[in-house]
Order: sequence, then C-alpha cells, then structure tokens
Amino acid sequence: MNKLFPFDKFVTGLNIIKANGGPLNALKKLFRQDELKIGTLVGTDEMGNRYYENNTYFYGRNRWVEYNDQVYLNYDASQITAEWYGWIHYKTDLLPHNDPNRPKYKWMAKHTENETGTERQYVPYSTMPPKIQAWVPPKKN
Amino acid sequence: MNFAMLTRAGNTVLRSSTRVPLRLASQINYINVNRDSEFENISWGAMTDQAISYAFVTELCRGAAVSLAHFFKEPATINYPFEKGPLSPRFRGEHALRRYPSGEERCIACKLCEAICPAQAITIEAEERADGSRRTTRYDIDMTKCIYCGFCQEACPVDAIVEGPNFEYSTETHEELLYNKEKLLNNGDKWESEIAANIHADHLYR
Repeated sequence: MNKLFPFDKFVTGLNIIKANGGPLNALKKLFRQDELKIGTLVGTDEMGNRYYENNTYFYGRNRWVEYNDQVYLNYDASQITAEWYGWIHYKTDLLPHNDPNRPKYKWMAKHTENETGTERQYVPYSTMPPKIQAWVPPKKN
Repeated sequence: MNFAMLTRAGNTVLRSSTRVPLRLASQINYINVNRDSEFENISWGAMTDQAISYAFVTELCRGAAVSLAHFFKEPATINYPFEKGPLSPRFRGEHALRRYPSGEERCIACKLCEAICPAQAITIEAEERADGSRRTTRYDIDMTKCIYCGFCQEACPVDAIVEGPNFEYSTETHEELLYNKEKLLNNGDKWESEIAANIHADHLYR
C-alpha cells in the first residue's frame, strides 16, 4: 500500500513539523532557513549556534547548523566557531569536545564573526615605529 | 575522366583530384537525409497513435511531470550557510600567524616566506626585541595580491605562517584586506583550534 500511496512520506512530514515545534514555529523556521529538517542536536557552541546531525540525509546535507536565534536573519557562515568548523565541513567525525587534538590555550581569542562593514571592522595601520623624525630647528642662544 | 567511367566505378570513391563537373557530382553523390520511410506505408493504427499524441500534447505533459516529480524529491544542492560542503585539512584559506603553547609568537623573521612568495604579497621588517630575540616589527600581507599557493607555509621553518581554514573573510573595501601583523596574530589566536587539528590530521604526510 505504501508503494501505491506514500503514507510514510506524509508521516515523515508531520514528524518534521512536530519536531520543529508545531505548524507556526515550523513556518517561522522555514522562512528563516528555507528548509525544514529533523535531526539530533549534537552540540552548541559559544556563539549560541546549534549543530544537528541526521545521517538519513545524504552526505553534504547530513550535518547542519541553526544559527543563534538572536541574530535572526543576520546569520552568517563566519559565525561558526573554529572548534566546530572542522566538524561542519566534514573534516572530522569527532565532535569538538571529544577531539583530543584540539588544544585549549589561555591566549586563544574569542571567536568573532566577519566584521566588515561594521564599526568594529579591521582597518590597516603600520606596526612600525616611524622611521623619519621631524626636524626640530635648533634654538638660538 | 568522364561520366561512363564514373558509373563503371560504382561511384564509391570520388577523390578531390578527380575533375568532375559540380552538377554531375551532385547527381551521383545523392544522399536522402529525410526520413521518408517513416512516413510512407504507415499503418492506420500507427497514424491514429500519432494523431492522439499530437492532440493531447503527451510529450509536454510527460516533461512537466518530470519537473513536478523533482519538486518533491530531496534536492541535490546544499543549503549554505546552514549546511556546508566538505573541506580538506590542507585547504589554503586566510593566513594566520601562530604562537607556541606558551603564547610566544613563532615567527623569527627569517623572511623565507617573503623570498618565496611568487606574488610578492608579503612584506617583513625585523628588529631586535628588548629581550634580544629577533622578531618582526612589520609583517604585512596584501591579501589581494596573494594567490594562495601555500608556498609561505611550506617555506616556514617554525610553522609560524599558515594558511588557515577560513575562507569567509570577504570585505566591503580593499583596505581591509591589507593585513598587518596584529591582524594575522589575531587570526592565529582565533583559529588555533582548527589550525592545530588540521596539522595533526596531516602529520603523517609532513
């Protein structure tokens, strides 16, 4: 019967809507992310982004991030922190907290998004002391 | 060569050297490119099928059905930036200057990266620091000159300059891509977790 009429697809669709918090929330999420998916939450990073995985989707779509709700439509790929970067790009299957090769030094900086176009953007400056000193005229005695 | 000889040869070969009048050649090498046989002696049944196919635009309907079927299928594309494509640990992206675990900067101003850079994008000036060690005072990379060949990180004897994994650093102005030493060190501090993981992923090949 399922071959004749795809009931299971409808059940999956209803489950996805249910997992995304009801029809209204699902619609909101669809508006923000263009897509509704179902998966297991594998972790959250320091920026508040949530990372999901579901291996029934094919490779390349089976891992995804839902950006922090605070940024709403100002989500940007550069908001993914360095710790999660390898996992979301399929470089490693180890989650950041299970990866022994990720060092934690106290001098490591907090992650920032790409700040171009904001007042916190990088502006180049010289790191050298000035090579030419202004001539100071000698004082007449 | 005349017409009689040509017909005796069975007009199999006409070399460009054989002088044949154009009118005659076109008569002999006649090829029918129309599909006349498909339209001659056609049965009534086949003719009816063709007529029905025309009348109900079945080919257009089948084409539209394929499009509709793909609408319900899982798309073959990824939904960037929520999903991201696979990347290699050797990926050469935005540059970064690394530090030792103690927090001391690695670069010793040997200028090998500056020498090997084929685009001459790197500018280095060095001075002796207060504690007597040799350090750079200027380490500038023009990211708009850089061709991302990775020679700088291969030349570096202390793994100080690396091309990190980040490729999402597009800017609105040109000047934001003229990186200085502070910016590069800050990149290193930000991305050290991923840079170290990449170096470890490749350590058997280095």
